[in-house]
Amino acid sequence: MTEIYLRLVDLILTPVIMLIAIMLFLRGHDLPGGGFIAGLVFAAAIELTILARGAEATRERYGPWMTPLIGVGLSLAVIAGLIGVYGGGFFHGMWIEFYVGGDKLKLGTPQLFDLGVMLVVIGMAITYLLRLSEAAEAAARPLPTKEGGQS
Amino acid sequence: MTLHPTVLALPVAIPLIFGALGLLFQSVRPTRRVRIQQTFTGIGLGANLVLALIFLVFTLSGGRMAYQMGLWPAPFGISVYLDALTAIMLTMVGLLSVVIFPFALATMDVERARAGFFPLMLFLLMGANGAFITGDLFNLYVFYEVLLMSSFVMLTLGGTPSQINGGIRYVVLNLMGSMMLLLAAGITYGTLGTLNMAHIAVRMGQAPYLVQAVIAGLLLIAFGAKAATFPLFFWLPSSYHTPHPVVTAIFSGVLTKIGMYSLFRTFPLFFPWLLNDWQPMLMTVAGLTMVIGVLGAFAQPTIRRLLSFHIISQIGYMVMGLAVAMTPNEFGVGFGLALAILFLMHNQLVKTALLLGGAAVELEMGTGKLNELGGLVKKMPVQATLFLIAAFSLAGFPPTSGFIGKLGLLEVTFSAGQWVIAAVSVVVSLLTTMSMIRLWQYVFWGKPHRTQPNRSGRAPHNAMLMTTGPVAILVALSLLIGVAAQPALDMVQVAASQAIDRVGYVQVVNPELTATDLQSLQELPAANAWRTAESAGG
Repeated sequence: MTEIYLRLVDLILTPVIMLIAIMLFLRGHDLPGGGFIAGLVFAAAIELTILARGAEATRERYGPWMTPLIGVGLSLAVIAGLIGVYGGGFFHGMWIEFYVGGDKLKLGTPQLFDLGVMLVVIGMAITYLLRLSEAAEAAARPLPTKEGGQS
Repeated sequence: MTLHPTVLALPVAIPLIFGALGLLFQSVRPTRRVRIQQTFTGIGLGANLVLALIFLVFTLSGGRMAYQMGLWPAPFGISVYLDALTAIMLTMVGLLSVVIFPFALATMDVERARAGFFPLMLFLLMGANGAFITGDLFNLYVFYEVLLMSSFVMLTLGGTPSQINGGIRYVVLNLMGSMMLLLAAGITYGTLGTLNMAHIAVRMGQAPYLVQAVIAGLLLIAFGAKAATFPLFFWLPSSYHTPHPVVTAIFSGVLTKIGMYSLFRTFPLFFPWLLNDWQPMLMTVAGLTMVIGVLGAFAQPTIRRLLSFHIISQIGYMVMGLAVAMTPNEFGVGFGLALAILFLMHNQLVKTALLLGGAAVELEMGTGKLNELGGLVKKMPVQATLFLIAAFSLAGFPPTSGFIGKLGLLEVTFSAGQWVIAAVSVVVSLLTTMSMIRLWQYVFWGKPHRTQPNRSGRAPHNAMLMTTGPVAILVALSLLIGVAAQPALDMVQVAASQAIDRVGYVQVVNPELTATDLQSLQELPAANAWRTAESAGG
């Protein structure tokens, strides 16, 4: 099985990397960051879990949700466009501003679109990372004996 | 008839939303999941066709419109543009998807359906629609990538070794084509400072001849690779025979035709004078594409390999039409383009009909090898008849759409004084007839070589109507174009006249242009005058 120190690193670092991903997502639009990068970083966090606990365990935990996640992401992106129709045009940016203790916060349809992108990227990246890891683990396993396997 | 411009977002939004809804149910129990996805795909394809037909009616009455995505004004945001050429392509691809859908329902095997074949149909449609409707060069590249990715997944769905092999060739060679398109977009932005197609059209005339030639050459290579023209067609015959037969039928109606559409759209808009300047080269490409395609078809051992070489051969006719698009002739400038569009429509119908007929045979018999088939005319009389009509249409016999298309192209090339290519196209038609009769004879005539139950998927016997119905519809449409040639010709002439009307395009997309800009669009330099001015200046 996997090494204990890797599992320890996974336990500590995975949530931290996920937080970094969320931070990158939130600071997008005006500063470097955004949905695509955040999705990749988030997938990197889960890749750490794959390395620490193996592809099988990770697939049990996240696997079934990945394709629906792509669907949710794409739907969110379209919904962001459709909200824009209300404001005059497809993908027209709509913003709401509100104040939290004196700090101005802005939320808008570009952010919703970015969230959609992030979910799609997470779904895609993890789907193929899982497949790759499974292939790699299968290759690393000792070969079956002659009579059991086929040529 | 008036339409709100926002509806121009729908050709992309409809397939996307229904595809995404289908993916949401990917973790549901497989049998239910497939049923749900099939329902969504059916609704999405139907809605898309209705929308495309509305667009067609709107544009054929002379309407054109543009929409600025997110309301960013024209040269800065992404414009989408609708005219008759766009509407015809949207309608044709929408129609083909709707017609193929029941065939796919009847024959798609369980594994591929569970892996998500039906949402993929919608994503492919989205890529196609986006490539048709966009008015932005970089956005065009993006939609080509959407197309490439969804078609690559469709091609390798099922994961047999031959599919992976063909899929890798397909994706590598197509990525090189996409690279050329990206390079062209980059050079356009670097030299002209814009990616909006209307804006490019305005500025292209002022650019040095070298810049024009480089951009035009790169676009020709990129779209030529996508359309499978002469030196760049290798990806097509090495991949089209590997996936599920329905997938091949979808590809033949959609993929190569989008490359052709992009040539029809960009060349008359950006550099119509180059169509005359480069006519000898385009004619060579057209001729070689025709000849090599049809000669390659004679050597092929299976139905689908043979038909994929015919796809290439027929692309040559469209390039021929494009090459004489701007040449003055007795029918008026642009008539060559009109016929090329008509020929493209004809080809989409007939080629899809042939591939679906071939697919029915292949699924019924479990093999597509010509020397293992024979005598199917007794077993599948309807398919055999339809296949024969479609084959004659492909060869260009009256009263089919192929006859109208080829006759018109011949007349316009004669009238433009291009005797050599006209002769080549006649010879190629003859060879096509021979090849198609040979194919029909091998598959449907003679003694049955062997009879065996089909090996893959559900028995097409249970779904006779769903497999012959689509082919019958396509063949009927081909005959309809052949019989009612005048309405069809009127339609494509509207499309061609709008496609070569650069001033109109620019005014629709970007109404705030100054009068001098439009002036420069109208007075095109004659081909040779331009070149002498260049050499005198340099």
